[in-house]
Amino acid sequence: MKSRLGVGRWIVVALVCVWSLFPVYWSLNTSLMTTPDAESVPAHFWPTPLSLSSYRQIFSSTGDNAIWPNFSQAIVNTTIECVAATIVTVVVSVLGAYAFARLKFRFKNVILFVVIATLSLPAYATLIPLYRMMANWNLVNTYTGIVLVYVSGFLPLALWILYNYFTTIPVELDEAAFIDGASPLKTMFHVMLPLSAPGLASAAIITFLSAWGQFLFPLVLASDGSTQPFTVFMTSLQTRHTVPFPLMNAVGVMSIIIPALIVVFLNRYIIRGLIAGSSK
Amino acid sequence: MIQPNTATAPPRKKLRVGQSASNQLLGYALVLPLVFFIGFLSIYPTVLTFIDSFFTDNPLDPPVRFTGLQNYFEMFKNPMINHSWGNTAIYVVIGVLITTVLSTGIALALRDNFKGRGIVLAILILPWALPGVTEGIIWQWIYDPTFGVLNSVLHSAHIIHAYHVWLGSSRFGTIFFIAVVQIWQITPLATILILASLQSIPQELYDASTVDGAGWWRTTFTMTIPLIRPGLAIAVIEALITFLNIFDQVYVLNGNASTGNSIMLQTYNTTFQNLNFGEGYALSFMTVIITMLVSVGLLKLIYRRVDY
Repeated sequence: MKSRLGVGRWIVVALVCVWSLFPVYWSLNTSLMTTPDAESVPAHFWPTPLSLSSYRQIFSSTGDNAIWPNFSQAIVNTTIECVAATIVTVVVSVLGAYAFARLKFRFKNVILFVVIATLSLPAYATLIPLYRMMANWNLVNTYTGIVLVYVSGFLPLALWILYNYFTTIPVELDEAAFIDGASPLKTMFHVMLPLSAPGLASAAIITFLSAWGQFLFPLVLASDGSTQPFTVFMTSLQTRHTVPFPLMNAVGVMSIIIPALIVVFLNRYIIRGLIAGSSK
Repeated sequence: MIQPNTATAPPRKKLRVGQSASNQLLGYALVLPLVFFIGFLSIYPTVLTFIDSFFTDNPLDPPVRFTGLQNYFEMFKNPMINHSWGNTAIYVVIGVLITTVLSTGIALALRDNFKGRGIVLAILILPWALPGVTEGIIWQWIYDPTFGVLNSVLHSAHIIHAYHVWLGSSRFGTIFFIAVVQIWQITPLATILILASLQSIPQELYDASTVDGAGWWRTTFTMTIPLIRPGLAIAVIEALITFLNIFDQVYVLNGNASTGNSIMLQTYNTTFQNLNFGEGYALSFMTVIITMLVSVGLLKLIYRRVDY
């Protein structure tokens, strides 16, 4: 059994690597070529000669079709929205997860069940009413509006990850702190949180990545230049005028630098979080 | 450090954190923000979707008025909407099937520890972490009918004799190639979920199976796969919800053509382009119901409780 799997496994591993990496490599490759080179038939598999003209064009703010003013604003918007949504989501879910894992109060299980059940709620359920509500409160095209929506969407998973994590920490540790005179809140900050650092990292990273890729909700709720994330910017760039392939790919590459770095350095937290988020 | 404390402590029950009346209040206080977000921005809007689907709500056809099931009747009479229901069904079938088979295969190959496994797992999850819109843009270029690398590679390998238009020329082809992009994104998640289930199978069971003389294929199909049904069920449901909701990739790769239109794109167009909010609510609510019914059905079909 072992030996038969040996060869098969390495074939699968090789295929997985090609399957996962090739499209990303191809985009990077194209972004480093001039348009004629990128459009050569058959395709060039290496960017020779290397050309940085697409990136130069992204960073130049002069000319009629200058991308930088809008693109840089979009990157700033995405960053603000993702960071704010991640902080609020983690803080709110830490408080909730602690209460569910450690405190006793009436309707606890009902509340927990209902919150987790919204995990399986598709975007359809809330998109139009949320737009209407935000419009009524003048929160369309504001950071506040989009962050509120992100938080409500990402809370259940973050809560579930943290709740599962908290329940693995022995209650005896809390009791020890409690006997030493610490209040429940102090116990949470000084005992639970330091021990839950990996769980917190998982919840924060998964929330951040989910927010980074959002498109449908910001398309509806934050579509003007002042608040649109780069996902909305990219699709408007694509439809507004014909953009050369290398430039479009360069914009794409810039949009995935941060998620790619997170995967490279923090992948174990992502994997643990995804598993914790799905258990039971 | 902890041991002596518990040993000298009075009976445990009294000391459990969080039992006094003030801790009851603390409990409510801590879940209050959560309840606000979920109650006000998740559950309340869902209820609104249901209620407002019985109203004609269209700025071009005022006033907003109760019209019962009219939105639902209109919806079923609209050929565009019926077409996108059909498309979404194809997305779901292709997407869920391929995702499940791929992720089960990958998970089986990555089950045992081997040198470099951590790096392979990191490479595996990369597509999951990327924005759907960027993936659409990357694959659009791969699929390009004139300069795309897919044509180039297949032509060089003599698999095709002329360059193909992958997107937009046939309904099934368009849906398949857009589904591939979503499969690319969701397979890592499904694989991780199945892998977690695989790793909870005790090694002794494999050993016993080998002792009994069962080969790899037999062990896999008669023992392993039945035992990973819980993980498989979650992976399938995740894939199902993803493909029922498919939007970003379709928006980028299909544009406004009806060929590969998904129900989510149709809902977006009906509501925010045609401003027919009432019908948008009806469409949304139908999809929520269908999502729930199919999820429960698949869960019943696949999930079996496994205890070791």
